[in-house]
Order: sequence, then structure tokens, then C-alpha cells
Amino acid sequence: MTGGAPGAHGDVTAPPALAWQRVHPVTPLVKGWLVLVVVVVGLLRSTAEQGGGDGAQFALRHLAWVVLGVAVVVLVAGAYSWLAWRVTAYAIDPDAVHMRSGIVFKQHRKARLDRIQAIEVRQPLAARIFGLAEVKVEVAGGDGSGVAIGYLTERTAQELRADLLARAAGLGAPATSAAGAPASGAGTPSAAPVPGEPGVAADGGRVPVAGPATPVTAEHGPGSAGSPAGPASAVAPAPVLHALEAPEQPLFEVPSGRLVGSSFLSVEAWVFVLVVVGAVVAAFAAQTPAVLFSFLPVVIGFGSALFGRFNRSFAFRAATSPDGIRLRHGLTETRAQTIPPGRVQAVELVQPFLWRRFGWWRVHVNVAGYGRDANAKAPTTVLLPVGSRAEATTALWLVLPDLGTADPLALLAEALDGSGPSDVFTAAPRRSRWLDPVGWRRNGYAVTARAVLARSGRVRRRLVVVPHERTQSLGLEQGPLQRRLGLASFVLHSTPGSVHPEVPHLDARDARLLLDEQSVRAREARSHDLPERWLEQPGATA
Amino acid sequence: MTDDAPAVRAPADPFDPPGLEWSRVSGKLVTARLVVSLSTVGLFAVAGAVVALATGAAWVWAFPAFFVLLALWLLWLVPRQVRAIGYAERADDLLIRKGIMFRTLVVVPYGRMQYLDVERGPLTRALGLASLQLHTASAGTDASIDGLPAEVAERLRDQLAARGEARLAGL
Repeated sequence: MTGGAPGAHGDVTAPPALAWQRVHPVTPLVKGWLVLVVVVVGLLRSTAEQGGGDGAQFALRHLAWVVLGVAVVVLVAGAYSWLAWRVTAYAIDPDAVHMRSGIVFKQHRKARLDRIQAIEVRQPLAARIFGLAEVKVEVAGGDGSGVAIGYLTERTAQELRADLLARAAGLGAPATSAAGAPASGAGTPSAAPVPGEPGVAADGGRVPVAGPATPVTAEHGPGSAGSPAGPASAVAPAPVLHALEAPEQPLFEVPSGRLVGSSFLSVEAWVFVLVVVGAVVAAFAAQTPAVLFSFLPVVIGFGSALFGRFNRSFAFRAATSPDGIRLRHGLTETRAQTIPPGRVQAVELVQPFLWRRFGWWRVHVNVAGYGRDANAKAPTTVLLPVGSRAEATTALWLVLPDLGTADPLALLAEALDGSGPSDVFTAAPRRSRWLDPVGWRRNGYAVTARAVLARSGRVRRRLVVVPHERTQSLGLEQGPLQRRLGLASFVLHSTPGSVHPEVPHLDARDARLLLDEQSVRAREARSHDLPERWLEQPGATA
Repeated sequence: MTDDAPAVRAPADPFDPPGLEWSRVSGKLVTARLVVSLSTVGLFAVAGAVVALATGAAWVWAFPAFFVLLALWLLWLVPRQVRAIGYAERADDLLIRKGIMFRTLVVVPYGRMQYLDVERGPLTRALGLASLQLHTASAGTDASIDGLPAEVAERLRDQLAARGEARLAGL
């Protein structure tokens, strides 16, 4: 997937036709300002310490040297950054996005557009100050396989994302012909969702496209959930900000009040409070504030985890568009994610115990390429940080517009709140209470035409939904106790992420049956899967 | 255990469905695994014995005795474990089962395989063995077959790769 022999100049391996574009010149500053600050501060501090008791006077006496030292550091860093910036460039061809970087060790990375799993426009605080943004393209290549193009001006980033999405959707290069996009869908409008993807005029001046939006949303159908409002209303405001985007339709947003409330109703928050109270009590008992410091790491740990979640989920908004799910969120660092259709591998709806009174749910997804990302502490795969049940079902509907059952609401009611066996749910047998005394009634699964629903957890309610065509491999597991009881656990292997689909402690025969049937269903679903270029004319697929 | 009688579920061993032909791995894998584990355990046993001789206290002999017992247990266990490893090729997927106490069964569709690894270490190479590992896009897929005769591993690898290509789907 990656080309580029080390040492060779980037262009050698690439087709000569590639039009390389540089990233914004301020990029090194945005990426490296923290390092620079640390180095300069370190320098100043060691200077100050040289002076023994009175560092400031020492520094003042040798002011020229201090200034010189800082200047040298800044100059060297600047020169290096300038060189690095000169070789950092990106290019797009019809099949792939290319990125080259590196002065000594050159890297030329090529990500195939039909393998794109998600596109994200990221704006850390420093980038926002300069009005810059980074476009991150995730492909399913495991650790650090994505392509991060940045930093660009906000406008360029938006355009680049729209362009990449249009190409990845199979609409060709929108910049080449303004009429290209609508024309491609003209043949059989009923079969192919006509893209709301703009006929992109050469430089961004797109007229709001009102027409295409309706068939697209109608295509999704009312589905299972409290479906969104009328499509037409949403189209008008969208093109103002995102001139090149496909029209989108807002679905839900998370008010910050609810976000704060839900944060306080989490186990982490209670532990945090307990630790703080414990630290204060211990300090009073020992009559020395020194005790407080020993608690500091724990307090910082929980505090940053809490704040991190709040920070990421702040102003969370979700919308749907022909290009897939759109998510926007973040307080200091804002992210705008687009997950194309068919890229979500598994969905999980969770209700922690303390949220039950309020009927709140959290929704996670697995997307290949995310998940095992470098900063595992910041999972980028939240579809809904906290929301009502209707919003949670809407989130599920976003991923799986058609649940493959006649009465999705009844099915979901049972999946979310129900327990025990029923017409649709096969539950774990009573004898599994020896292994799961609290939650055994909830353990169970249901299979629809489109997906498997795995239900578990009585205190912390959990529902995992995996579309058949997204099943990777299947497994059965049985320990010695389970064997005595004639039980087995069924496991669905999904791409790395926070969702781990499994149904524990099923009757061994049920588990076996599920394994056999599921492998057949998964195979059939795969053969009818969407094309990877999701707006392309479905060719031979029946 | 009131709800269903044991007789109903007795015939169904979920790990051994009817109509499937399981292939076993080479018995030489027993040797390969025992050489590794017994040499480690033996080292500890000898070290324990030396300490026991040096100190002369009778109770210290408990340590080498423990390791000798552990070695005997391994001698009994490892052949059984190796016999429990099996794989079966079906038309569209590969089944791998493992374990006696903790049993697992994995079904890997050919169309889901991303790549295949054949690995040979110095010991297994001397015994003419190789292990084959199947990788899907999921990290949870633990689909490896140890102790295949080298030529079987090569054949399987090529065969599986060909089938995977024919059925390849996206993610």
C-alpha cells in the first residue's frame, strides 16, 4: 500500500502527473509550539539556576547571551521546520491520496480511496487560533495507517474533505466537470441514491442543491427509530458553511447540561469525589497537607479522564448525509468526522446503572482504522456520548437504517429493557445462573435479516448490534464449568475497537446452531454488500 | 438445573459437529513443545536440587520435587493438548478448534482473510514442522495452527490464499 523507496525522492515512485500541494506554512509552528516552549523555558530555567540564589539578576547581567541562546534555538528549529515543510506535500489522484514527508527518512504514503473508513477534520486549539485544520483519512491498515494531511486553512480542509469523499464515493473528480456528478446518477435514479454531492464548480461557488436531498433521505426510509424531521428544512443552511459538502440533515445534539450531569453520574466521578474527600480527611487526620500530594496522581488521573471525556463530547452533534454519518464535537480540540456508509463494523448501546433513572444511553461503534489508534485513551468512536433512548435508537438507525425486522421498535424494546427468552430472543438457560448470578436473564441474542443483536448486562445494560456483512470471524468458547453445565459462549470477532460482541453462557446447542447459521448468513450478506464506492452505480449486484 | 434434562443435550457436543472431517496436526508437535517446557522445568528442578544439596535441609527438596511433578504432569498433558488441536476445511470457511479444559472453536471465512503467515523456528524446522496463522481485520481472531508438517503448511497457505482471493470482500 505504501510506495516510496527510502532515499529516493518522493516523486520518483509516484506517477509524474501527481499535482503535489504543500501544506500551510504555519504547520510546523502549530505542531511544534509546545516542544519549542518547553525547550526555551528549560533553557531559561537552567540559566536562572546558574546564578545561584538570584537567578533573575544573573540572567539580566548576561542578557545578551540568554537572548542569543534562545535565538539560536528558535533559528535551528525554524530552519529544520522550513525544510520539513518544504518536503511535506499531498496529492490526490483518481484512486488514492498521497502524502509525502520526511527530510532524512522520506516517506511516501498512498491510501486507496475505496478503502477509506473515515475522514476527520481535526482542529486542535493551536490550529484554531490560526484558522487551520488537519484532514485525517483513516484506512483499515492497523496502527497509525491513516494519512494526516495538515495543516491546511479551514476552507481548504473542508474542500479537500468534500473532494475526497466525492471521489471515494465513486463520483470521479468533481473539479473537472461541474456537471459530472449529477450526470452519473441520472440513469436509474431509483436504484442509485442520487448524490446530494454537489456539482462542484471549479472553485467552490456551489448553489444549494435542494432537489437531490429528498430521494436520498427517502432511500433511508423511516427505519426503526424516531426518525429525523423533514429533509427539506435541513438543506438550506448547510451549504452556507460547507459550500462543497453533500447536504446533511441534523439528527441530534447533546446539550452541555446533560453532558455535565451524565459525567457526575459515572463511576469515575464518584471515585474521583471519594478520593478527594479521602485525601482531605487523611490530611486532617495526619495534620499535614503533605498527605494531599500522595493523592495527587490519582486525582489527576481521574480528573483528566473525566475532563477528557467532557472535552471530547462537548457540543456533540450528529447528522446524516449521502456520504454517511457526520459527527462534530470537541471543546478545545474540535473534530468533524465523516463515516461513509457501511464502514461501521459494530454498534454498542450501553446504559450505566446510574443513568437508568434518566433513561440515558451511550452509543459506541467500531470502525476499522480507529480503535487501536495511537491514543487509545481517546476513543474517537463515540456515536452518542449521552442521549435519550430515542436518540440512541436514532444513532443505531444511522448505522443500520434497516434492522431487517417488521417491528424494529418492539425488538429494540426487548433488546434494551427485556430479559429472558421470547419469540425473537434466544436467552441463556436458567442453569447459567451459576456462572452469571446477576445478569443471566439478560444474556441472549436475536437474529434479524440484517444483523445480530447480542444483549447482556443487568446492572449495566448492554446491547451490541453487528450487521451480518461485517462479521469477521466467529468463535465458540467453553471453560470447564461451562462444559459441566452444557453451556458455551459465542463470540463475534469485530475489528479492533471498544465494542466486543459476544453472547455469554448460551446453551451449547444454541451456541453451535448460531455459529453455523451465522457463518452462512454472514457469507450471503457479504455477497450482497454495498460497493465500496458507495454512490457508484451498483453494477452486477442483484 | 431444572429446566432441561441432561439427556436432551447429551449428544450435542458443540465442538464436534457431525459431518465434519477434522485434520490433526503432526504428533511431532508434542516433541517440540515438550523440549521447550521440559527444559525450562528441568532447569528449575536441577537448580532446586543443587540448593537442597547445598543446604542439606530435607524440606528444601520440596522445590525440586514440585518441578519433577510438574514435568510429569506436562508429559501427560501436552500430548493430549496436541491431540485436541484440529482444523477442518469447509467450502467457505476454515474451522480451528483447540483446548481440552478451555475449548475454543474459531470459524474463519476465506473471504475475510487479510493475510497468512507461515512461521518456522529452529526447533520446529529441525522437526520439519511449521505453524500457520490466519489474520483477519479483527485482532480477536486467534486462528493459528501449530505443528503442521512443513509441506502441508505450504499447501494450506497457497490453497487458502487462492480461496481467499476468490471470495475476497472488503471489510
